Amino acid sequence: MARRGTSSSFPGVCGCCGALRPRYKRLVDNIFPEDSEDGLVKSNMEKLTFYALSAPEKLDRIGAYLSERLSRDVARHRYGYVCIAMEALDQLLMACHCQSINLFVESFLKMVAKLVESEKPDLQILGTNSFVKFANIEEDTPSYHRSYDFFVSRFSEMCHNNDDDLDIRNKIRMAGIKGLQGVVRKTVNDELQANIWDPQHMDKIVPSLLYNLQYAEEAESRSPSPLQATEKEKESPAELAERCLRELLGRAAYGNIKNAIKPVLMHLDNHKLWEPQIFAIRCFKIIMYSIQPQHSHLVIQQLLGHLDANSKSAATVRAGIVEVLSEAAVIAASGSVGPTVLEVFNTLLRQLRLSIDYELTGSYDSAMNIGTKIIKEHEERMFQEAVIKTIGSFASTLPTYQRSEVMLFIMSKVPLPSLQHAIEMGKTGVNRTRLIQIMLLKSLLQVSIGFQCNNLLSALPSSFLDPLLCVSLMEDGEIRLFVLEILISLMDRHGNRHKFSTISTISDISVLKLKVDKCSRQDTLFMKKHSQQLYRHIYLSCNERTNIHPHYEAIYGMLAMISIELANEEVVVDLIRLVLAVQELALTNEDNLPVYNRCALYAISAAYLNVISQLTTVPAFCQHVHEVIEARQKQAPYLLPEDVFLEKPRLPKSVDHLEREVLFLQSKISEVLGGSGYNSDRLSTPYIPQLTDEDRLSKRKSIGDTISLQVEVESRNSPEKEEKAPAEEITFETLKKAIVDNVAVEEQERERRRQVVEKFQKAPFEEIAAHCGARATLLQSKLNQIFDITIRPPPSPSGTITAAYGQPQHHSIPVYEMKFPDLCVY
Amino acid sequence: MEDYDFLFKIVLIGNAGVGKTCLVRRFTQGLFPPGQGATIGVDFMIKTVEIKGEKIKLQIWDTAGQERFRSITQSYYRSANALILTYDISCEESFRCLPEWLKEIEQYASHQVVTVLVGNKIDLAQNREVSQQRAQEFAEAHNMFYLETSAKESDNVEKLFLDLACRLISEARQNALVNNEASPLPGEGTTISYLNCCNLN
Repeated sequence: MARRGTSSSFPGVCGCCGALRPRYKRLVDNIFPEDSEDGLVKSNMEKLTFYALSAPEKLDRIGAYLSERLSRDVARHRYGYVCIAMEALDQLLMACHCQSINLFVESFLKMVAKLVESEKPDLQILGTNSFVKFANIEEDTPSYHRSYDFFVSRFSEMCHNNDDDLDIRNKIRMAGIKGLQGVVRKTVNDELQANIWDPQHMDKIVPSLLYNLQYAEEAESRSPSPLQATEKEKESPAELAERCLRELLGRAAYGNIKNAIKPVLMHLDNHKLWEPQIFAIRCFKIIMYSIQPQHSHLVIQQLLGHLDANSKSAATVRAGIVEVLSEAAVIAASGSVGPTVLEVFNTLLRQLRLSIDYELTGSYDSAMNIGTKIIKEHEERMFQEAVIKTIGSFASTLPTYQRSEVMLFIMSKVPLPSLQHAIEMGKTGVNRTRLIQIMLLKSLLQVSIGFQCNNLLSALPSSFLDPLLCVSLMEDGEIRLFVLEILISLMDRHGNRHKFSTISTISDISVLKLKVDKCSRQDTLFMKKHSQQLYRHIYLSCNERTNIHPHYEAIYGMLAMISIELANEEVVVDLIRLVLAVQELALTNEDNLPVYNRCALYAISAAYLNVISQLTTVPAFCQHVHEVIEARQKQAPYLLPEDVFLEKPRLPKSVDHLEREVLFLQSKISEVLGGSGYNSDRLSTPYIPQLTDEDRLSKRKSIGDTISLQVEVESRNSPEKEEKAPAEEITFETLKKAIVDNVAVEEQERERRRQVVEKFQKAPFEEIAAHCGARATLLQSKLNQIFDITIRPPPSPSGTITAAYGQPQHHSIPVYEMKFPDLCVY
Repeated sequence: MEDYDFLFKIVLIGNAGVGKTCLVRRFTQGLFPPGQGATIGVDFMIKTVEIKGEKIKLQIWDTAGQERFRSITQSYYRSANALILTYDISCEESFRCLPEWLKEIEQYASHQVVTVLVGNKIDLAQNREVSQQRAQEFAEAHNMFYLETSAKESDNVEKLFLDLACRLISEARQNALVNNEASPLPGEGTTISYLNCCNLN
């Protein structure tokens, strides 16, 4: 070390005659022993302390003189004396908790700096320790002019020490961390002092702490021996760094969070620590657990912002950030999203879309530089999964009302073919739309899982259900399955779903230990409003030839869920009617479904009727179901779920000619249900799905649907029309019914009338209003559509059936509907 | 009462492996450590020199060249009085990165910072990839001082730091004059703060 001597600037200090020197200097000199090995002269130190306490105005001179001596000793490498001087300074500092300390502190800090800037590890550590002692003193007078710049810089540098000797390295690093901790403690509560939260300090402190945290991880993975690890853990820089980081973050006020988190993000970026996210997650766990809970949403916002800033980074990096977000969201719980709930989801959904675009175009920028960065499809996929998972974990922290808001929001982002939105055409456009649909539905599913909404009516408004049940989402098998799963998980509020995960005809459902609550009033209202939509969706789903095993499982699950969660007597009858219609579907087979699909439909009918018969606990009903199932076991096992839903089901070539006893009979069921007080009259009218707006826009058009629309729309309140409606296919069954049920029809009509009257007399206002409201919106949408049609010709129907009938269907409806202006509805 | 008349902070920057640490070591300790490893984060050295009877304390912050430490090293630029931007004359790449470094300086350092461009490793002249003229032109274009050094042979190392110190003194004097004219605050005799960029006692 080529340090120039500094003694020349203090001439004559040593040579002075003791008696001529001021008292304080003599007192100071006396604390130093002849031989530095002997240590501080305790009795003289007491004298010095006493003097300093009794004459506090001398304190600054004492400090100055001590520091003068100390610098000289440092320069002369007389480290023993350095230690003694420092000890004396410490003691004086501790003894003099008074205002006069302020000036003394200046000399004290100068000494600490002197030690800390030395190259000797021992002196660095000595200085740091003194600094820490000083930091723990609470001063009552602020000092405007004190600056800790150098200390922050130097302590941060010490945190990065890379001495060859591991022991020394650790010691210096720990000293650095302790020093930083001291600076934080000293300044954090004092507004007047150097603002430790300024980026210039935070950018040093935070990365230094993180570096030590991270270094520990590396070291841990390197040392295989557990014995060594525990030894090291006793005093590891990593632990200290973690504690310090926690303390720092715990003190951060609202305005400081940003400056504290930014360096963390930068550090993780620079050290490429997003990719195996373990460390990043650990960091953010520390952060989330240490900051004041009311600030946690700021961290989330910053992470989201960082995600946006990294839009064009590798998928693995983005996935890492998203993964961290998801972990952080769970910790922050309800506070995580803060005031901008939708913004959070908007960002995540935007990233999802971006990722889909990257995946499809294969580049980050479709306009230029194709192939500059190779995008790995599977990495994008991983990222998308991570985003979806994160959406789920955010949603799980939200209160119910916000959750349904979020679901509505996600739903609104699902691209649907409608009059308003022109869907992108072309192959990539279609592909893109489909991918986006799938991803968003997956997100919805994730949100809906574990969503316990007590009130389905408010949780699932029409604005959510309508698009979800929209036909265009049904054409694609994968998407259809998601829709079903979303509905099921929303309905399943008692965790019964998994009990119906396999389709079977168990003879006693009590083994399932179902948890059933009575259907609440809101749920009943919900069903009043939306049941037709749900039934229709189930029915149409059944009729898809692309269905595979999971679809049938989902359909079955859905039927079961409705029966358990939302059923009253009316709904039960409706469901039975629906399932009979499904059986009919398989029987008449208009759409030429393959044998497997038909068998599957028979099978789920059987499975469901088995469940519902036992739920209704009508013995005769159970009896009938049981008989049919037994008959099938003997004659046609391929109509039972146990046989159909095998890996390789053994199916017959044809299922066209079935015996009567393997079928569930509507007449029989009507009879037995009627016998137990159920209003089973409606069973006699076969179920036909109601048509909605978009049906006419989609390919799924048939004349039967068009007519039945009029039936279903009006049937609820105008029973007269009910029987005029049977434009459905005239089969043997219908004819038979017409003969058999002639009497019943009249009775049914009467009953209906009575019901309507009763409903308007007894039902609460909201119920009636909701009912009418539903009709009004239906009408409104129809009117809208008519206007639209008159402005723009509708897409030509592609269905050949329609063409064959040659009926200009779209004209008939407008005319029909136009007769009902708004007022007539009420 | 201070043991120095001026205090300056000097920060060394440049690509990894161009010899920043060796320059500092050579200057502060007179050593050339042969197997010098990569710097982690930042390194700190202090050296007091005497120029024309004035004691000048140089705080030298030697930063890591590695990209991953960029964020911590950047935080040290801000308070620097001088930057020593180093490249390796036998490594074209380290020279080509200079514009990037200048951008960083622009972004993070103070506007009054004195920048010196240093081409290190002239002991490897036989492998020279960056000509002196080219570097000279580059330095002039960007308003930097320029010097070629060898930490190994101790060529120009002393000169680098001493010249820099002289320059910093004259700048500090100028600033002090300007400041004194602008704001002659009575009673503000000596600055008590430990660290101002330049302490005139």
